[in-house]
Amino acid sequence: MKPGMIYLDNCVTSAVAPEVFEAMQPYFSQRFWFPGNFISTGESTREVLAGFQSTVANAIGAKADEIHFTSGGTLANNIAIKGIANAVKKGHVICSVVDYPDLLTNAAWLEQQGFEVSYLSADDKAVIDLEQLKREIRPDTFLFMTTAVNHVVGTIQPLREIHEILSKAPNKIYFHVDAGQAFGKMHLNVDEYGIDTMAISAHKIHGPQGIGALYQRKGTKLAQLIHGVKRVDNLQTGGLSIALIAGFAKAVELNFADLDGTIRNLRELSDYLIKRLNEKIPYIELNGAEGEGRAPHNVNISIDYIEGEAITMMLDMHGITVATGSACASEGLKANYVLMAIGKTHVQSHGSIKFTVSRYNTKEELDTVVDRLAEITEELRQRSPLYTAFLKNQEK
Amino acid sequence: MQYSQKVLDHFMHPHNVGKMENPDATATEGSPACGDQVTVYLKVNEDTKVIEDVSFLSYGCASNIATASIITDLAKGKSLDDAKQITWRDAMEALGGLPPVKVHCSVLAADTLQSAISNYEIAHGLKKVPNFSKETILEELKKIIYPQVGEDIVSLKMVKYVGYNDGEVVIDLNMMSFDTWRDNIKEEIKEHLEKYPEVKKIEINFP
Repeated sequence: MKPGMIYLDNCVTSAVAPEVFEAMQPYFSQRFWFPGNFISTGESTREVLAGFQSTVANAIGAKADEIHFTSGGTLANNIAIKGIANAVKKGHVICSVVDYPDLLTNAAWLEQQGFEVSYLSADDKAVIDLEQLKREIRPDTFLFMTTAVNHVVGTIQPLREIHEILSKAPNKIYFHVDAGQAFGKMHLNVDEYGIDTMAISAHKIHGPQGIGALYQRKGTKLAQLIHGVKRVDNLQTGGLSIALIAGFAKAVELNFADLDGTIRNLRELSDYLIKRLNEKIPYIELNGAEGEGRAPHNVNISIDYIEGEAITMMLDMHGITVATGSACASEGLKANYVLMAIGKTHVQSHGSIKFTVSRYNTKEELDTVVDRLAEITEELRQRSPLYTAFLKNQEK
Repeated sequence: MQYSQKVLDHFMHPHNVGKMENPDATATEGSPACGDQVTVYLKVNEDTKVIEDVSFLSYGCASNIATASIITDLAKGKSLDDAKQITWRDAMEALGGLPPVKVHCSVLAADTLQSAISNYEIAHGLKKVPNFSKETILEELKKIIYPQVGEDIVSLKMVKYVGYNDGEVVIDLNMMSFDTWRDNIKEEIKEHLEKYPEVKKIEINFP
């Protein structure tokens, strides 16, 4: 058995597409130069870099010079959030309890620096509370940040409604979006949603690891976070990898050439997986939003009466990679905070399994996964005192 | 973080798993909220007081299942007196070690076995229901594992003070404010003490 033979953890990272791998090659050994002026090596890199910026910008309805390449989504989130806060210097920030750790750890840091942060709650589908958002806005609120697609249950946040609320505020409230899960999985137009800054990354859409980008709307003032030698501009000081950027641009090209088709294919796979799971395994439930309300690549279920670490380990022994929200699988021994925040019980959280599909998965693979999971579930339930108690209650 | 091959063997092919019909004693420890629960069933020869059969059910992770499996192996065929000597350290050793963060699983398995033996002895008049005291609290604290290193908090000298008066438990712990395990330890202590009907209030203090 080969580890990761059937890989369903694509929301964490995904395989580099062969076309991407090929597109990067020349930039490692032949055209590896940094951008520069007057000499042909530097000038030619400047030119291709502008082309890559343009490719990424087009995917989100932005302008080329609003794209800054970074080492990944986390750096982009940091540059944007800390950059806006340090430029404004004091005031109030809003995010939610179901946000990605990038946003929540930055929010905690902002609190330590003396900023005030309000955390919106979310409903049982993980949609943030817009009424609460309206109530929390204060005259000194300068930043709202959200995770466009929830990283645990795949719920898509109502970006249009958020934009409407923010634009009605008397003061300017910057809108920062972490689009780690959303980029390439939904239509994300920065003008349509009034987004000021946004973090995206390559490796979740079959681009290389170690490269992402920050979208910065023209005119959005960001205090400089990383000081160092200026190669491109003050937001992305230091060296950059032109090869990884080339790979990122290629991944974007492949994903966005027919975005509707990309989304349709992913949704067909995840819908098929949900259908097969429901057919084959009793006592399971879907976590998060249903239908169009969830990102097309995410399926998160809770399997009653058994625990997720044991499930993922048994699947792993069959070469199948999935994720779980169980406390037992986490380094901090805590149940997944998103699942707990949307009202799931400890048992539902411990028994949760997250599958995230990519264009390289097939229905045949999903059939194999469901068959193995059905066997594993049956076996673990036979060992479980909770299931035994449940069966006994049913007899009564 | 990795499991030993022995843990994986017991997880994939556990020994003595399944509900026992008409056991002589049984005990369930842990809770679904904490993500792990174990039930142990015993069949004891009334004359020789030897554990003739033992089985378990487990709701929990791989190490939970493996530690319950090994604890039944260790107990099977032993006299009650010998089985009472089996500790979580024996279970861990027999499995070739556990990752520190998983040591608490072996405590739960050993604990459940000891509870089942105790239930048998109480039911057969071999011992009385023990009085709840400060000693009981200390014994329970020896079962709380600090996940960072996989040792109990008493051995690690993290318990500064234990007080008990009329249903109220006060525990002072030596855990710094930046220690990310504070909440885990607090919840573990509560889980261990709240099962005693004598305990009405638990106060846990940090510096």
